[in-house]
Amino acid sequence: MAQITIKDLSLKDCNLTERATELKKAYFRAMPEVCVERSGLITRFHLENNLLNKDRISILDKARAYRFVLENRAPIVWHKRSYQKGMTPFEFKDNSFFAGSTTSKFKGVPLYPEFLALTLWPELLGISDRARNPFYLGKEDAEDLNLKIFPHWMENNLLELARKKYHPPEMKILERLVFFLASKPNCISHTIPDFSKAINKGLRAVIDEAKEKGAKATDAAKKEFYAAIPEALEGIIAYSKNLAKKAKEMADNEPDPTTKKELLDIAEVNNRVPELPARSFREGLTTIWLCWTAIHLENPNVGLSLGRLDQILYDLYRKDIDNKVITIDQAIELISCLWLKIGDHVPTIPDAGEQLFGGTGSNQAITIGGVDKEGKDAVNDLSYVMLRATELMRLRDPNLNARYYHGINSDKYLRRLCEVNVNTGATPAIHNDKAVIHALTKKGDKLEHARDYGVIGCVEPNSNGRHYGSTASILLNLTSALELALFNGRHRHTGMELVISKETGNPASFASFDEFKKAFEEQARFLIDQSTKLNNIFGRIHQEFYPTPILSALFEGPMDKGRDIIQGGAVINSSAATIIGLADVADSLSAIEKVVFEEKSCSFEKLIDAVNKNFEGSEALQKRLMNPDKTPKYGNDDKLADANVKWIVKTLDRAFGEKESYRGSKYRVGYWTMTNHAGFGRLMKALPSGRKDRENFTSGITPVSAVTPVLTKSLNSVAKQPPEYLSGGVALNLKYTPETGDMEKMLDNFAASVKGFVDYGNGNGTGGMEIQFNVTTHDTFVDAVKHPEKYPELLVRVSGYTAYFKDLNPQMQKEIIDRTEYLLSKGNYVYYEPFNL
Amino acid sequence: MPLDSEIEKIKDEFDGKVTDKFLELLLKGMEGAFAASKNKIVSIFTDKFKDYHKNIEGFKGRYLFRTSDNTVLASAVFENGDMDVREDIDDWNVRVTFKNPAALQDFLFSQNQDILDSILANTVEVDGNLSYIYKFGFMARDLRKRIGL
Repeated sequence: MAQITIKDLSLKDCNLTERATELKKAYFRAMPEVCVERSGLITRFHLENNLLNKDRISILDKARAYRFVLENRAPIVWHKRSYQKGMTPFEFKDNSFFAGSTTSKFKGVPLYPEFLALTLWPELLGISDRARNPFYLGKEDAEDLNLKIFPHWMENNLLELARKKYHPPEMKILERLVFFLASKPNCISHTIPDFSKAINKGLRAVIDEAKEKGAKATDAAKKEFYAAIPEALEGIIAYSKNLAKKAKEMADNEPDPTTKKELLDIAEVNNRVPELPARSFREGLTTIWLCWTAIHLENPNVGLSLGRLDQILYDLYRKDIDNKVITIDQAIELISCLWLKIGDHVPTIPDAGEQLFGGTGSNQAITIGGVDKEGKDAVNDLSYVMLRATELMRLRDPNLNARYYHGINSDKYLRRLCEVNVNTGATPAIHNDKAVIHALTKKGDKLEHARDYGVIGCVEPNSNGRHYGSTASILLNLTSALELALFNGRHRHTGMELVISKETGNPASFASFDEFKKAFEEQARFLIDQSTKLNNIFGRIHQEFYPTPILSALFEGPMDKGRDIIQGGAVINSSAATIIGLADVADSLSAIEKVVFEEKSCSFEKLIDAVNKNFEGSEALQKRLMNPDKTPKYGNDDKLADANVKWIVKTLDRAFGEKESYRGSKYRVGYWTMTNHAGFGRLMKALPSGRKDRENFTSGITPVSAVTPVLTKSLNSVAKQPPEYLSGGVALNLKYTPETGDMEKMLDNFAASVKGFVDYGNGNGTGGMEIQFNVTTHDTFVDAVKHPEKYPELLVRVSGYTAYFKDLNPQMQKEIIDRTEYLLSKGNYVYYEPFNL
Repeated sequence: MPLDSEIEKIKDEFDGKVTDKFLELLLKGMEGAFAASKNKIVSIFTDKFKDYHKNIEGFKGRYLFRTSDNTVLASAVFENGDMDVREDIDDWNVRVTFKNPAALQDFLFSQNQDILDSILANTVEVDGNLSYIYKFGFMARDLRKRIGL
């Protein structure tokens, strides 16, 4: 257990240095630029080595491809210019402690033609000018993509390889887009690598270990695996040494002695790590940074996460502080520079994707605090240093997640987490260790592994660096299961002529609520069956065409098993789905139960007719359905409503849990929605809950907005849901009015609300799993819609990840504005009229 | 010149109401633009089509476009550096079924929408390899830009 030596936990006397301030300014000024370096080099290697249009690609060939890219990419120590709004160039001074970048640009958009980069093809001529989130793309680069890169991947991207090889009928359901989405055609990702070996032993030691194990292996597949690891890691070492060489060249020509020294320092650090063990905090951070850039050459960054950095780096930090090698201010400056580097790229998203996922970063989560493997307090000085850097930088990426074990972690720590939320408006998210550890052990994780969980992407807990949980394999729109149950296997979006699934009967003929629940469960199971089958096909395509030597080298398990993580090499394996529309479906079920079957005040036929007409002519019914005093609504500590939520999460956990993944493991389920609740909401018609056509669904595990007036009741409804059914992670989004007049009181109330949530006496005594906040006034949000230029750094929690409000699409902005807002001093919500777009 | 008059008609389609002729005009215009780019035909737009043919050098692809009732039906075959507009074909790489010509125009050209958006709106259904549609989308937008729309 680390001793806390920092006296003022807020570290309020530590501020941003000039270096961090200037780099941050450039960061916010810069527009993302499409980078063709990776896609060009990877295409060239595949063509020169005849790897395309084959039945498989071996892990050794992939490792050689990444080595080629890493050895041949430009070693950019510091950037000099970028593009600003209006796509005009600007120059700035880059003097980061960390050389290199994810792309060849200061803020780049890496392209992965093996995955979904080709979706950008139609936009190449106009992507610099598109209305929302434009990417700068030079004419020559656009021409290279059009003529030299994309054509070679038309038959060789993973989505089309799956279609050609397996002809999956489930693909038609996927391509309707309204039932579920699959992430595997877009990424491996959604996991946390293990950096500890790279930091403590160095990559040279891993290479030697692989060679030794390869020499002893008799199995051909294992031999190939162990041969691939050195290839990939030599590439990372080469990239670092190329950066060192370049820094030395720059230093030789640098007249300013301060800058010269900084360049020589970079050269020295990069010459050593990640090849050899890190000796200092800075070398540890550099090791992580260089491994991270290499992982991103292999894996599109969709929720790839860095894990428990305050634990992994603590010894190096402690040693440097104790030996007075660095001060706390310098540590914060180093971390601030690393945070900026981590956010140096944005994901590739086509225009329509912006409407579903608009404003998303790459969701790189970092985890701090909680308990260690033995269950002891793991919060240390570095946890507070990282909190302060986060508070000062207010960046979208990385997405900071704080673990909190009530009774083990201190009250002061919790209060500090609340304070940073107030000061940043949106971060960190708070995870209840007791509930999460319970959920993971119930899925079979060893206790010490469960205690060592890190948060992935948005909110998903997996054991740090040893669990490949592929946590966003499936994004399932649960309201589509409800739709299929309401309309006898048909969906209003795809037309009533088309029978999508099994006909479960006309609900008007059902004699009981249980009959309807049965129909709903059957339709949900249909979608689960379709989506898991398709996910397994995509998983096999990964195994055949996209081995991952870099990620496997930096993971616990593959080196022992001699097997890639996508082949099941990790210590713990699972796949996971996340559910969109939980509260909307639960409230619909409750409405049906109460109004149709209990009270019999409205027939099922009449209810279906009303939703079909978007409640036109049935306004009184709609009003009644939306009224929590008359119709049970989740989020009011209402027995009937909360029981329906519990039934849903239990049913889905069981149904997914029965499915086996392509890696021989089971599926887990989570409730976090990114921006999908707005995207799917846009496609879906009215529901029995009283929600009207095209309105947003509710995010994550959060109750529906504006129907939950009392904060404690809302928290209780969520906290009582059993964590064992929520092992894929949940996002509870709350909005608090900033009451900065009496900050101390605000923080007391804030912390009390979290304690009440995590301490809720549900069956297992675990409390609710996760809670995250927006602490910004309604008026500020409304003004930010009108004047986005005034709020470039306005940070918000979406459903899991953090985003800049200005980058979100209008529907998502509305969803955040309309979320229930609570006044902590009163414990009640503040009512606002729904925001008009 | 036939190509020039076709280009003018395409412009009219963009400016006014989209008709059943949109698909045919687009494909014929594209076919002519590739020919003009290779100096196989003369057009007042020849300069604007410079290097347009590079889009289809070495490219093989078979596209079938139709309305769900087959009242509008046309195909484009790319082979040996040329484009050939035909009626019905078998063995397509991709088949696009659209509700009406306006849906197709939206699908290929709308400023604020893209291919995925049309699928979301359920106005277009695509069978086969989506990459071919992405490539076609680029070529169609490139053509549109070259003729000043």
